[in-house]
Amino acid sequence: MGKLEAKNVEKFFEHDGKPLKALGGVNLTVEDGEFICVVGPSGCGKSTFLRILAGLEKPDGGEILLDGKKLDDTGPDRIMVFQEGALFPWLTVKDNVEYGLKIAGIPKEERNDISKRYLDMMQLTQFANSYTYQLSTGMKQRVAIARALVMDPDVLLMDEPFAALDTQTRDLLLVEMQLIWQKTKKTIIFVTHNVPEAAVLGSRVAVFSHRPSIVKKILDINYKRPRVSEDENLIEYQQKILSELRPEVGGN
Amino acid sequence: MKGSLFGKKIIFYIAIILVWQAIDTANVWPDNIFPSPIEVAEDLVYGISDGSLFYGIGTSMLRLIIGLSIAISGGLILGIFMARVETVNQTIGSLVLGLQSIPSIAWVPLAILWFGLTDSGIIFVTAIGAIFAVTINTYTGVKNIDPSYIEAARNMGAKGSQLVTTVLIPAAFPYMISGFKQGWAFAWRGVIGAELLFSFLGLGFLLNVGRQLNDVSQVIAMMLVIMGIGILIDGFVFKKLEYKVMSRWGLR
Repeated sequence: MGKLEAKNVEKFFEHDGKPLKALGGVNLTVEDGEFICVVGPSGCGKSTFLRILAGLEKPDGGEILLDGKKLDDTGPDRIMVFQEGALFPWLTVKDNVEYGLKIAGIPKEERNDISKRYLDMMQLTQFANSYTYQLSTGMKQRVAIARALVMDPDVLLMDEPFAALDTQTRDLLLVEMQLIWQKTKKTIIFVTHNVPEAAVLGSRVAVFSHRPSIVKKILDINYKRPRVSEDENLIEYQQKILSELRPEVGGN
Repeated sequence: MKGSLFGKKIIFYIAIILVWQAIDTANVWPDNIFPSPIEVAEDLVYGISDGSLFYGIGTSMLRLIIGLSIAISGGLILGIFMARVETVNQTIGSLVLGLQSIPSIAWVPLAILWFGLTDSGIIFVTAIGAIFAVTINTYTGVKNIDPSYIEAARNMGAKGSQLVTTVLIPAAFPYMISGFKQGWAFAWRGVIGAELLFSFLGLGFLLNVGRQLNDVSQVIAMMLVIMGIGILIDGFVFKKLEYKVMSRWGLR
């Protein structure tokens, strides 16, 4: 299961010695198996919100519930895919993918079977023994996604994972991401600043306001999948997102 | 290119030996102050044939290996604690910086008082001369780890000693290698210096015997051996290790 609830989540940062309120009471309920995108102006704290969901940061107020249970630490039920992948350069692709399994004490043969399945799924099999510096940015993100999926988390937290990719690679991964979601039925929370990306991926899109951020609006995107970014019917949705987002960009 | 570099070196060293021989032949200084290269070579051959040279090298190397092992394990632990626990850094950290400024030779009197003229005393001087270089480089290495590596590992369930062995040490390894390299250099100076003053077996002892016997060619022969071992260990152990780590980490 993977129903995630954020209740009135607040977070302060120190800025020039003064506390700065980044998150001003974020309320968001993500249903089990839902694919939701979070967009917002830059610096609104959407990545911070994701890190709080992951347990990497503590909220200054409010709480996070997973299937009704309060969370206050990281856990293998919520795995994050980082912006730059955060792959370990001292490990091969295969060892990177197996890292979490190894930490969990899963025996070698079983690890092997699991990683094989996901390396296959992400079309990485021929790179299994490569080191990360030998891979393109797109390949690295595939490894990062595989590394998260092997943990079989209830919730996948994705922090602008495609921001550094070229357009063709990104378009490809946008489709693959939808197929993975349909196949694995994970709950996915995907943070992005890219509006077309949000329209392609999200079943719902949560728009954050500027600081101190709250969820300003949640838009439903009921459109058949897999969606492709060049689909003109998505433009209408993009415009809806943009009309909510535009007043928030550029501060007060 | 590589061949011509090697050629240059050969020519350079042959030239040094020729100039040395020429000065000796010109009889600028008496033989008991300035021996010929042949006399030095004879001394080396003698040391090899009666086994005393190998015994000396073996003794010094054993002390070096024990001392350096202590320095590396102690330095790693201290450096990691300094980097991860702010209080340790604020207290022990400042002391480490101070202690590092003490030349290893300056520990000799204390070592003699504490351990007497024993192996342990020499190993103590060797270890203490090297430990702080390892500590400081380890500290710097751990401090410079990309925080997303640590977060990714925590997110996948790594805690405590698992985090240390699977992320902190491998991620900081390129820095640690520099620490080991510096540590080895300090340890080698330390062991020779201590043997000289303890006058208790080893290459430093043989060097001192040469002085006591007024045998200048033995003194120079031992200095050449000390230098030769330094070059060998630097080139065959550390350069290779460094190259391997740098290419694996994608830093080359």
